[in-house]
Amino acid sequence: MTDTSTTTWQPDLSVDLAPHNPRELVLRNPVIPASGCFGYGLEYAGIVDVQRLGAFVSKGITPESRSGNPMPRITETPSGMLNAIGLQNPGIKGMIRKYPPIWETWDVPAIVNISAETVEDFAMMARRLDDVPGVAAIEVNISCPNIHAGGFCFGWDPVMSADVTKTVREATTLPVIVKLSPGAVDIIEIAQAVEGAGADAISLINTLVGMAIDTRTRKPILANHTGGLSGPAVRPVAVRMVYQVTQAVGIPVVGLGGIAKLNDALEFLMAGASAIQVGTAIFAEPGILGRLIDDLAAWMHSNRISSLAQIVGSANPRFKGISARTDDLLTEMLQS
Amino acid sequence: MTALPAMHSPDSGWSREFIGTITATEPVMGDSMLITFTAPQGLVRSARSGQFVEILGRTKWSTDPLLRRPYSVYSADIDRAELTVLVRPYGRGSGWLVEQPVEATVDVLGPLGNTFTVNPKTQNLLLVAGGVGAAPLRMLAAEAITAGQNVTYLLGAMSAPGLLDADLLPAEVEYVVATNDGTAGHQGFVTDLIPQYLEWADQVFSCGPEPMFRSLRREVLANRFADKPPVQLSVERTMACGVGACLGCVVETKHGMKTSCLEGPVFDMDELVWQ
Repeated sequence: MTDTSTTTWQPDLSVDLAPHNPRELVLRNPVIPASGCFGYGLEYAGIVDVQRLGAFVSKGITPESRSGNPMPRITETPSGMLNAIGLQNPGIKGMIRKYPPIWETWDVPAIVNISAETVEDFAMMARRLDDVPGVAAIEVNISCPNIHAGGFCFGWDPVMSADVTKTVREATTLPVIVKLSPGAVDIIEIAQAVEGAGADAISLINTLVGMAIDTRTRKPILANHTGGLSGPAVRPVAVRMVYQVTQAVGIPVVGLGGIAKLNDALEFLMAGASAIQVGTAIFAEPGILGRLIDDLAAWMHSNRISSLAQIVGSANPRFKGISARTDDLLTEMLQS
Repeated sequence: MTALPAMHSPDSGWSREFIGTITATEPVMGDSMLITFTAPQGLVRSARSGQFVEILGRTKWSTDPLLRRPYSVYSADIDRAELTVLVRPYGRGSGWLVEQPVEATVDVLGPLGNTFTVNPKTQNLLLVAGGVGAAPLRMLAAEAITAGQNVTYLLGAMSAPGLLDADLLPAEVEYVVATNDGTAGHQGFVTDLIPQYLEWADQVFSCGPEPMFRSLRREVLANRFADKPPVQLSVERTMACGVGACLGCVVETKHGMKTSCLEGPVFDMDELVWQ
């Protein structure tokens, strides 16, 4: 190997989302399908090359199986959609029996998203997942109602958010990602509470609560009345929150909310996200996942950027996370 | 390892997301359009009646309307490597699609979903169509005629111009129509025609609006014996992903919630839960 021309080097897209956890969560690239938008990874096999992904997140799993909400569950909105699926899933036991044996044979980390209405149930699920082969990490959905707090959303309160995080942390040694709700009054306060309680990483944002009305019937379109708004319509809100949160916490942040193209992904990375999740855009263009990986690598190559860390937080002067913006070794090498 | 659903096995080597080029457009049924576009030949060969494709109703530069729209396969021409869908321009996605000229490109995902299943012993098929439900049943009629079976195709519309021209169906099909205003065929609903064919039919297949399904079910239950003939319905739901991932398009069955995109769109009438 004597050829060191610029066409032979490949930018390093890898990232560790749990640098402080011995079980680590190393991704070969920062592109992750978001919870609820990629099923259990099997649904898109044959359409998307699942093995190329950085990781993937399962649908939201609950303590018991759920049949979900009545129909209609989805409706399209300007550059977005509302959904109220209602966490239809086989329950933690059914999920563990069905999917991890398949994931174990795959070359891509599987992250299991969990939801519960009590802190104890969160702990129970984390314990069950702890030593399941094929499960690489847990994403904790705190955007659900706490039945012991009158249905008030865990993720809107820093004390309850920290409580869930701490309990899950103590129940498992797996990397723990806590997914924040944009409905919180002060997202920074929540992020710091979750970091202090032992989260390895944070993902944000979950969907925003919205509604659409059928003016012919004079009723909300969704059977559940309200639903979670996602898609490009929410992206500016998500970018702003990633920018704010990565100024306040030192753990990796996974950004999501309306990413549909390379430029969208770059916005999140430059705001401070160490990795990104793609959700609603997959429904419209499953090929977006592979294209984002290719486009990001090509963009880094043409901009002489050797590692992802050089991009992360580069638009955020008060970025607090681990930065490697000084890592210009390859650039220097290429210029010499 | 658990077996993957058949449609997701990496069988053909073709990606199911592809760019097709429109080769023909033909106005039909008053306000609708038959749109024919190129597709990878392996996918065309695999397409069966009841399956659908999801088409992006916008350019790739836009994000609105965001989601693909599902269209049943109307016909599949293996030699020419083309698929045809029937599009009624109600809404933003379909409205954009019918305005696309020949040689424009379309972003397609599919074919997706399950298929109508004709039992090996079936000789006589009764097809009951309403609106764009005409499309998958046109495909089924063509398959059945090729297999040497007998087909009666019932189609209902508000008025004569809303019907499918008879020359778009195989010549061997017995084509019977109903219009609400009596401008063609039976005056009334297409489901009024069902009872007289139930003794003859070995199987019934239907696609159309929900109220039509309810009338059909009433007519069938009142006139059949010992669950014969069996009925298969192709249901229509708002869809997002089209591949069983989002669970936005489920229908309630006696065996729990099922996705109309992956486990459907075709269901046995007796398996569905009716309120």
